[in-house]
Amino acid sequence: MKKWGELALGIVTSIGGFLEVGSIATSAQGGAEFGYQLAWVLLLGTLSLAMLMEMTGRLAAVSKRTYADLLRERFGFRFFVVPLVAVFVVSLLVLMSEIGGVAIALQMASGIDFRWWAIPIALLGWFLLWRGNFSIVEQGTAMLGLVAISFAVGALVLHPTWPTLGRALLPSLPSHDHARYWYLAVAILGASISPYLYLFYSAGAVEDEWTIEHLSVNRVTAGAGNVFGGGLAIAALVTAALVLAPRGIRVEHYEQIALLLATPLGRTGFVLFIATLFVTCFGATLEIVLAMAYLLAQGFGWSWSENLKPGKDARFSTSYSVLILLAALPIALGADPLSLTNISMVLTAASLPVTVVPLLVLMNDGDILSSHVNGWPSNLALVVMGLLSLVLLVAALPLQLLGGG
Amino acid sequence: MGALRLFHDVIDAQLVDRHQEKIGRVDELLLELEEGKPPRVATIVIGGAARARRVGRWMVACHRAVHALFGQHEEHESRVQFEAVRCIADTIELDVEADALDSMHLEQWLATHIICRIPGASGERK
Repeated sequence: MKKWGELALGIVTSIGGFLEVGSIATSAQGGAEFGYQLAWVLLLGTLSLAMLMEMTGRLAAVSKRTYADLLRERFGFRFFVVPLVAVFVVSLLVLMSEIGGVAIALQMASGIDFRWWAIPIALLGWFLLWRGNFSIVEQGTAMLGLVAISFAVGALVLHPTWPTLGRALLPSLPSHDHARYWYLAVAILGASISPYLYLFYSAGAVEDEWTIEHLSVNRVTAGAGNVFGGGLAIAALVTAALVLAPRGIRVEHYEQIALLLATPLGRTGFVLFIATLFVTCFGATLEIVLAMAYLLAQGFGWSWSENLKPGKDARFSTSYSVLILLAALPIALGADPLSLTNISMVLTAASLPVTVVPLLVLMNDGDILSSHVNGWPSNLALVVMGLLSLVLLVAALPLQLLGGG
Repeated sequence: MGALRLFHDVIDAQLVDRHQEKIGRVDELLLELEEGKPPRVATIVIGGAARARRVGRWMVACHRAVHALFGQHEEHESRVQFEAVRCIADTIELDVEADALDSMHLEQWLATHIICRIPGASGERK
């Protein structure tokens, strides 16, 4: 019975966890400018993330150790510095974007400028991390995150043309604006596959004391959960294609994205959009801050757990306290949340090789996984992912210059 | 265990004290060289400077800069004799007290001066 509870929870977590500021913004831009055409990128991102989460979850359930822990131990500190710095920098940028997303949601609800909300949001987030334990953070954000289902409702109300959407799930070349198309493709991939997601997931498996018994829970969570979550991102793209594209609106402000739900669902849609933006970005804020503190603590061997009182893991709790306030500063000083989001999604995509490629080594290490090492299909998929991540690394910056803005 | 692979099983491994509290990782492993005797694995080093030396000169410079920024002149490093090793498995257990280690300076300083002054920090589990 408990297993089923965990299963349901896992699926809910992934649904709530998938959609956040990055996915909402990039899907909306993609739909507004290219209709359904970029749907295949969301499918690719969803499948890749599901695979990475299944593997890091399996690694944690079998070895009872987190991905960051094994990265340091198996590759040594000299190598570990690279993913540490890369993931740290991009996660900090994504964290700023998420705080920006929450602040924009509050601005839309209250009329008070988003800059005033950044510090209160950080303090509220800090308070929850300080007092709450891991399940409160995980389950609370997951349950509330279900409000994101309103994107699916919005898409259905607008009656999408299913055959066209079906065809868009296969890659195709754009008829115009090549640079912009590929730029958005990279940004969507960066938004779907964020390293903080699988670092958080593998640390969560250890926090929840997963064992080999949880391998089936892990498979279903990573698989079904991400497919639902990715489905919601596709729904956001579909609504943008049906609401923004025909009116020739290019997304330049978050307020425009509210039209995605306000057009099909009216005033309720507007409120649902604000709620979705607030809840998913706030949930992601908590998860990213924790993922960054986990990365530091596990990499350096400090005491860490969101289930311990802060006095028991002082360096860990100092890390999340400082980080959440630090990330709120640029927003408080008026940084534009939407441009910040776009840049951080592209940089996230560029950072993927350093966390994807080492996984190929770890997932084939019999000392760690014994009989649960990767089979050839998983390895093949991981090699493809690794190659894709290298392409993203090379292409990200040129595309930012050519197609960004 | 018959043989121990130092590079694989010891370097960078998670260290815990005798109460299973996490106390850092094996940042450096020293051999003892004594005239007329074969070299012997002697010391586990835990500390930022040792870690930085493994990466390269630029990391040592970064490490110094961070120390200078916070007005720290002392290097808080622990050197534990290999004889203190009690168990080598997923973690390496050392027969030491976390509180007695110099490398735990920052953890202790943060705990007493900052974290525990904020309400809700004390106790065991949330």
